[in-house]
Parts: sequence; structure tokens; C-alpha cells
Amino acid sequence: MNTTISLKASNIDKYFYQPEPFQVLKDVSFEVKKGEFLTLIGKSGSGKSTLLYVLSTMDTDYKGSLEINGARLTGKSQNELAAFRNEHIGFVFQFHYLLVEFTALENVMLPALKLGKKSREEIEANAYESLKMLDLKEQALKQANKLSGGQQQRVAIARALINNPSVIMGDEPTGNLDSKNTKVVFDIFKQLSRERGQTIIAVTHDDDFARNSDRVIELSDGNLLKTSTIGR
Amino acid sequence: MFSSVNNKISGVHLTSNAKQTVVAVLSVTFGISMYVFMNSFMSGVNDAQTKLAFTALAHVRVYNDGPADNTNLLKRVLPYGKLINLRNAKVIQYTKGIKNSTQIVSLLQHQPEATGVTSQVNINVSYHNGAIKINGQLSGVDVENENRLFGISNYMLQGQWQELKSRSDGVIIGSGLAKNMSLKINDNLNLLTDDGVAKNYKVIGIFETTIANTDKSKAYINIGAARQLLSKNADYVTDIQLNVKDYSKARQTAGKVAPVIPYKVEAWQVANGQLEAGSDLRDIIAKAVSLTILLVAGFGIYNIMNMTVNQKIREVAILKAMGFSGGDITTIFLTEALIIGIVGGIVGMLFGYVVALAVNHIPFAIGGLTTLPMTYKPSDYLLAFVFGLLTTFVAGYLPARHASKIDPVTIIRG
Repeated sequence: MNTTISLKASNIDKYFYQPEPFQVLKDVSFEVKKGEFLTLIGKSGSGKSTLLYVLSTMDTDYKGSLEINGARLTGKSQNELAAFRNEHIGFVFQFHYLLVEFTALENVMLPALKLGKKSREEIEANAYESLKMLDLKEQALKQANKLSGGQQQRVAIARALINNPSVIMGDEPTGNLDSKNTKVVFDIFKQLSRERGQTIIAVTHDDDFARNSDRVIELSDGNLLKTSTIGR
Repeated sequence: MFSSVNNKISGVHLTSNAKQTVVAVLSVTFGISMYVFMNSFMSGVNDAQTKLAFTALAHVRVYNDGPADNTNLLKRVLPYGKLINLRNAKVIQYTKGIKNSTQIVSLLQHQPEATGVTSQVNINVSYHNGAIKINGQLSGVDVENENRLFGISNYMLQGQWQELKSRSDGVIIGSGLAKNMSLKINDNLNLLTDDGVAKNYKVIGIFETTIANTDKSKAYINIGAARQLLSKNADYVTDIQLNVKDYSKARQTAGKVAPVIPYKVEAWQVANGQLEAGSDLRDIIAKAVSLTILLVAGFGIYNIMNMTVNQKIREVAILKAMGFSGGDITTIFLTEALIIGIVGGIVGMLFGYVVALAVNHIPFAIGGLTTLPMTYKPSDYLLAFVFGLLTTFVAGYLPARHASKIDPVTIIRG
């Protein structure tokens, strides 16, 4: 792991106004280094998912500032942020959220087609490669809703990787998977951070999953409770 | 904005839920075909009506409008402020009819838009047969040209129109007149002009225009015979009738020639305001009804697009998470709506044509018609298509904009 800062969150405050005003995040500040595998843990309602969505740039209703790869993202327009996400951030959610009417291959290709930096043939080749790495080569041309849960989640990971983003974010990426598939997903994340230097930030309820990551950040009632560096 | 990825997503949405797409397309098809049909039908009715009206009416009529207002002649010569007392003013002489008709006919014939000119000597007469007296109008006509303008030979029940040319004692009468006066072919008809001249004619033909007033009161004789009846010279006519290529432009022609003709020049619209009004009103009804149908179709599309957006709300959220902008999302759904509009529009034009064709074959034997009238105008089809596309655009844009504003966080977090 090198020491370049991948993501920097400074003094993040966030409020929910419904049903009544409530501060979810209280002055949260931390940095994530490039290639670091970070997990966010905490009880339900601790604000960990909320924090992830702020980091993801999708939620812009917060105070404080957010930088990814040295670029300040706070205050940018929705369209600028969408373009930024497309190129620099990959997402894996608890539920796969594939486009069910498309094949696995097409799902993987979509973000790259949107980015439009490579030719269609190149993108297809890359997508095949990703699927192959995730042991899904045979499923490439199947429609997304014809795959098993574990396969779907791996397709979602392949999709998150297609533009070679610098940060991959997961909202309980293994929350819906059995232990075998959880292990598969974990290993993929570990491999990505080690071999490709991609930063991983994942919210999890799974203690084993968290324990084996590089660093764990625990949130409690919107406060950064403690960070513990493990592994390595 | 119109990238192929967006189009691909639109395409997949349309094909993966084919049933819904077909329903949406059908609602556009229905709206557009009804628009086409309604307008074709109304145009058909208007054209039939106009055609019927023009069996007795020329596009432009030139006639002597009678003497000017001469109720106070002294006013013109006496200075202002003088008191004038003039009683029982009478016109003691004025010229009836058109004198230099040859010149005017030649002038009208040389108008590029003229399709036919005919001269008439119209006389108010009363027809006599025994004890029966009926007032009516006798038309002395230029046999060939009269037929060219009004196609009167098509309305002959008995006898030949052309025979009038060679028979200076012949008269062709309307079917109602024949019935009311108990006249048959070769019977004698006595008529009396308002100047008190009486003459006998032989009935050589009977016509029926289906315009009851005309059939009950009109009779034709040769124009030479009419001049003879009035003791006028061979240049005398009362009316000159002109037809032009496009009857809706009769006003322009009338306006153009009026300054050089010393008589009244009147376009058909001026003399028959009710015809034009009726035709315009029918057009408005047709437009209103068909636009209403299109509006209903628009609501159908709006509904379906709204449903689609709601079904795909998670998909929209994920697309936004992956980096698709609000504009991309709008494009995706708007493209779907426009494809539905274009396909529905094309099918609707075809279907509208088929419906029009079918209705055009329904028998309708009233007032000179055999089947329901129909006009096939490309402009109706084009307008239907444009309005249809406009409707789908608006109906698609609102849900598309709604989709583009979806907040991915709310959807993904549930």
C-alpha cells in the first residue's frame, strides 16, 4: 500500500428532517489511502450507510467536504457528479441491482459504454475478461434474472470494475449471500486492493468480513467511534 | 446526449415488455387514424356539398346590380346647408342587363385561372299550363358552356341537353316543375315575362339537380330564344358566370377583374355566406373531435409511460449510480415515447386510410350521393402525424422528466 490519499472526508455533518430533525452524522473526518480495503461497521442506525452514500457522491445534502483523488466534489452539480461516478467509482449493493432485461455481459458493459472512452469491441473484450476472472464466462450471454444470487452479485462486481475505477464502494455487498459466496466476494475485493491498487470501502454487518479487511471504521450514533488497523 | 447506450436501453425497454408497448402504440394508432378519418370524412362532406352547390352556382358572377341609390339627386348639385324637399323620386330609365358582354366574356376567358365562362339571360317568368300558374326563373343559356360549368347534362332525367342548341322553341324544365304542372316531354309550356310577353315552348327535356328549389322553379331555353323573348340584341346578357381552377380563390379573381368591369363582380362566397360558414364550421368540428381523440390517446401514453417509469424506478436509480445523468434518463424515456409515437403514427395513417376507404364504400343515396363522401388529402395525414408526435412528445416528456429527477439514494436505500 502506498501513501497517496484516495478519499478524504472532512467534518461531515448530516441531518435527517423527516419525521423530525435528527443529526445522523456528527463531524465525521477520515482519510482513506489508495489501495486500502476499508470496512465501515456499526449498529443499525449508526449512520454507516448514510456515510457511504455521502462518500459515493450520490447524496449531496450534507455539510463538510469530500475529496476523491484530490478533486473536491462538494458543491458540484448532479451531472458533474454522475460523470465522476461513471469514471472513478464502482458500486456493489446488497441486492445486485442488475438490469434484469439485459444479459450479464450487457450489464457489465453499460458503464463503459456510457463512459464512451473505448470502442465497443474493446469494452466487450474487457467485460468478458472481468466475467472470466469472476468465473462467470459461461453465464455471459444469459439474461440477468436467470442467474443465481451469487452469480448476480459477481456480475454486479464485474460491472463495478469495468471502468477500472479508483474507488469501489459496497453497501453490504455480501449481505444477501451465503458464506461460500461471501468468501468469493471478499477474496475478489482483497485481490483488487492488493493487485490493482483499487480502494475498497464497504459497509458490512459481517464481523468476519470486517476483521479480515485492512482497516475498520466503527460508527455509533453518527460519531466516528474508532478506527482499527488490522491485517497486513 | 443521444448516445447509442441510451438508445439501446430504450430499445430493450420497448421490446422486453412488448404487450405494454403494443397497447401504447395502439392508443396512438387509434388517435391518429381517427384524426385522419374524421378530417377525410369532413373534407369529403364539404367537397360533396360544394360540388352540389356548384351545380347551380358559378365561382364568380358578373351582373347588373340595378340603378344606384338615387333617392336624393339634388344633394349632389346644391351647396351644403340648403334645405331640399324632394318627393316621390322615380327612376324613369335605367339599363337592364349587361350591354358589351362580348368584351367582358373575352376578358374573363383570358384570365389564366379561368376554366370556363358562360353567358346567361335570366328572366323572371310565370309558367302557365291551363289553370296552374307558377313563378320561376327562365334561363337562356349558352348550351355548350353552361354544361361545361355546371355539368347540367349529368342531371337530365329525360331528353338530351344538347338538343336545346338546335331547338329555339324547346325548353328543359326541372322535375318538380314538371310534376307540379303535369308536364311530360313534348307537352306545351306557356310562359309570361314580367314585361307581359307570353310565349309557348315545347318541353324537350326534364332535369333533376336534387336541389328542390331549383327543380321546382327553373327552366332552360336557348340564349338566342331568350333574347328574342325580351326583344334584345345578340350581345345582351343578364349574367356572366365564370369558373376558376380553385373555387376557394374565387374572391381573388373577382377582386382582380372587378376594377375593369363596370358591373357587379361577385365571388360565390359573398353571395352564399352560409355555404362557406357551413364548410368552415364542419372543419372546426372535425378538428375539435379529432384533437380530443388525440388528447385521450395522449393520456393513454402518459399513463403507460408513467407506469413504465415506476416499474423501472430501481433501474433508473442504478443507472444514475453508475453515472448516467438526468439528461440521459430523460433521453431514454423520451426516445421510447417518440418511437411509440412514430410507429403508432405510421400505423395510424395506414389504418386511418383503410377506415376512410371502408366508410367511403357505405351506400348513402341522398342528395345526389351514392356512397358516403370522402376526400383523401395528404395534408390531413401529415397533420395527423405531426399532432400525434407532438402529443406523444408531451405525454412522454412529463414521466421522463420525473424519472430524471429520481434520487438514487432514496430508491436504493429503500
